[in-house]
Amino acid sequence: MTKLLEVNDLRKYFPIQKGIFQRTIGYVKAVDGISFDVQRGETLGLVGESGCGKTTAGRCLLRLIPPTSGSFIFGEEQVDLAKLSQQELRPFRRRIQMIFQDPHASLNPRMTVGDIVGEPMRVNRTETGSALQDRIVELLESVGLRPQDTRRYPHAFSGGQRQRIGIARALALQPELIVADEPVSALDVSVQAQILNLLAELREKFQLSYIFIAHDLSVVEHISDRVAVMYLGKIVEISDAETLYQSPKHPYTEALISAVPLPDPSAQRKREHIRLEGDVPDPSQPPTGCYFHPRCRYATDICKQETPELRQVAQGVQVACHHSDTLALQGV
Amino acid sequence: MASSEKTSDQTPLLEISGLKTIFPTDDGIVNAVNDVSFSIARGQTVGVVGESGCGKSITGLSMLQLVPSPGRIEAGEILFYRNADDEPMDIARVSPKSELMRQIRGNEIAIIFQEPMTSLNPVYTVGNQIAEAVMLHDQVDKKTARERAIEMIARVGIPAPAQRVDEYPHQLSGGMRQRIMIAMALCCSPTLLIADEPTTALDVTIQAQVLGLMQELQAEMGMAIMLITHDLGVIADLADEVVVMYSGRVVERGSVDDIFYNPLHPYTQGLLKSIPVLGRTPQSTLPSIPGTVPHPLALPVGCSFAPRCPERMIACDAMPELVGINGKTENDEHAVRCWLHTDSEG
Repeated sequence: MTKLLEVNDLRKYFPIQKGIFQRTIGYVKAVDGISFDVQRGETLGLVGESGCGKTTAGRCLLRLIPPTSGSFIFGEEQVDLAKLSQQELRPFRRRIQMIFQDPHASLNPRMTVGDIVGEPMRVNRTETGSALQDRIVELLESVGLRPQDTRRYPHAFSGGQRQRIGIARALALQPELIVADEPVSALDVSVQAQILNLLAELREKFQLSYIFIAHDLSVVEHISDRVAVMYLGKIVEISDAETLYQSPKHPYTEALISAVPLPDPSAQRKREHIRLEGDVPDPSQPPTGCYFHPRCRYATDICKQETPELRQVAQGVQVACHHSDTLALQGV
Repeated sequence: MASSEKTSDQTPLLEISGLKTIFPTDDGIVNAVNDVSFSIARGQTVGVVGESGCGKSITGLSMLQLVPSPGRIEAGEILFYRNADDEPMDIARVSPKSELMRQIRGNEIAIIFQEPMTSLNPVYTVGNQIAEAVMLHDQVDKKTARERAIEMIARVGIPAPAQRVDEYPHQLSGGMRQRIMIAMALCCSPTLLIADEPTTALDVTIQAQVLGLMQELQAEMGMAIMLITHDLGVIADLADEVVVMYSGRVVERGSVDDIFYNPLHPYTQGLLKSIPVLGRTPQSTLPSIPGTVPHPLALPVGCSFAPRCPERMIACDAMPELVGINGKTENDEHAVRCWLHTDSEG
């Protein structure tokens, strides 16, 4: 496998401003130095609770918001996307696309489906005239919609179908990487499975790589090859999906897995439930040391003072915990 | 905390039969809840599960006569046993604005909603809002009501209740707001708590806290819970009995083990198969239910699930009855609305 994207020490700090002069009095460290890579054809899951910075990280990668620092080395060219100007970035834009969470808010209600799906190609002048129309139909068919849907408006479609339109639009420029931000969390259970299957099918068909951002651990496990768990702007653990869920190495991962209720009553009765106390701390005033230590049941003195670095503990397994070598944590 | 440890004395608290709630619209009548029957025993947790638009929330609102206008209860009974020994009363026949309904609401049947931010009033302190509920139902003065509010805030596990009582909703996190909602709902010790998607807006670790809290309070106070959710994991965690709804109707009903280990309706089976389960070896494709939920104004003739059903047959052009699996009566514990499980003679 070849590396498609390498993210190094990505940071995004939002200033907190106050008073009439908008003086900066502090920063919310939404993304606080994360590094990971994505191989070609791979799906990397990014999970965490609200406010952990997973969406901000995704938006930084597309340069929808400017990152504070860090580099993203992309493609065979090994170009650092974080350093390019908007002009230089344009040819790369079409190679990374995004799928959004809310299929109601991410489609323009005044445009027909054909216009929505065709817009990226018109803007980038990749197709024109009847070739454009053919391509739109081809795209709609590849996501399971009908050719006659091109003339209809988004309101005529259900949530699942709208998400298909959003996916067709993301595919229009034949991207190599798709950042999917909570693509199924607004959908009903039965429709969610259809969209997950579609994403998996398209990945095979077009050799796509995904960064799949979601809060639902079971969905992420299903679709991802590797999973990164985020907490308060940092990655606390990355490993391949199976290892992560069967034998987590970070206490936060363990607690997250334990908190998911299994749709299996007798297994659910037998499980030991780890209940985290309290809420995620305020990201503008994170705790000292390991950010997770106030809620961690294994925390010791060192956790209060020193911030653990993300380090390799086994082949393909990275974890940021002082005690990961000695803890025997339970998986699913 | 397992649901099997829970004690429910099996005397009925609420019996819904043939409930029909309709919404007249310009384009026709929407049968949001159509011929729904199930019962809730004292101290029991009944989970109502289904996708958006299946009528699960409207069923909950009907039980409190809170159906938003122009909707109304068209037919059916909601028998509520206020005291175990007395004759039941029929909530479906009580006027929504009557004094009697106001006494039942909050005092005997309480409800919590999905979005704790929009269900709390942003301009009053949380203590004020809990105290208001206390004073509405009990003849107590302001000071006692405030003390009760502090006591309830402590009981739902919020640290420093004496300070929190004077805070406004925006000062609290989502999980704490939902705890406040629970405190408000339980301040009058209701016999039934209707929880409509109580944890859907919360993060998974906070969801675990709130679900755990609900179980603890149920063990302590003995109220029954009607848990409305789309999340089968939450149902498996809390429910004793499960009601599966589709397009306004109950399609299957049974104990939590019946529904999860012996689902009979193709919809229930499809729903259970289509969710990714943590820790199961991931399959390349999830078995999904094709198509989407039909529009409520364009329901198919006969069984509403038939167009999406892998087991569709000719009989499905007529609506099957909800029949018990063993006794073939509607009161049977495990009941299903499907021609596959209905005798043609019956």
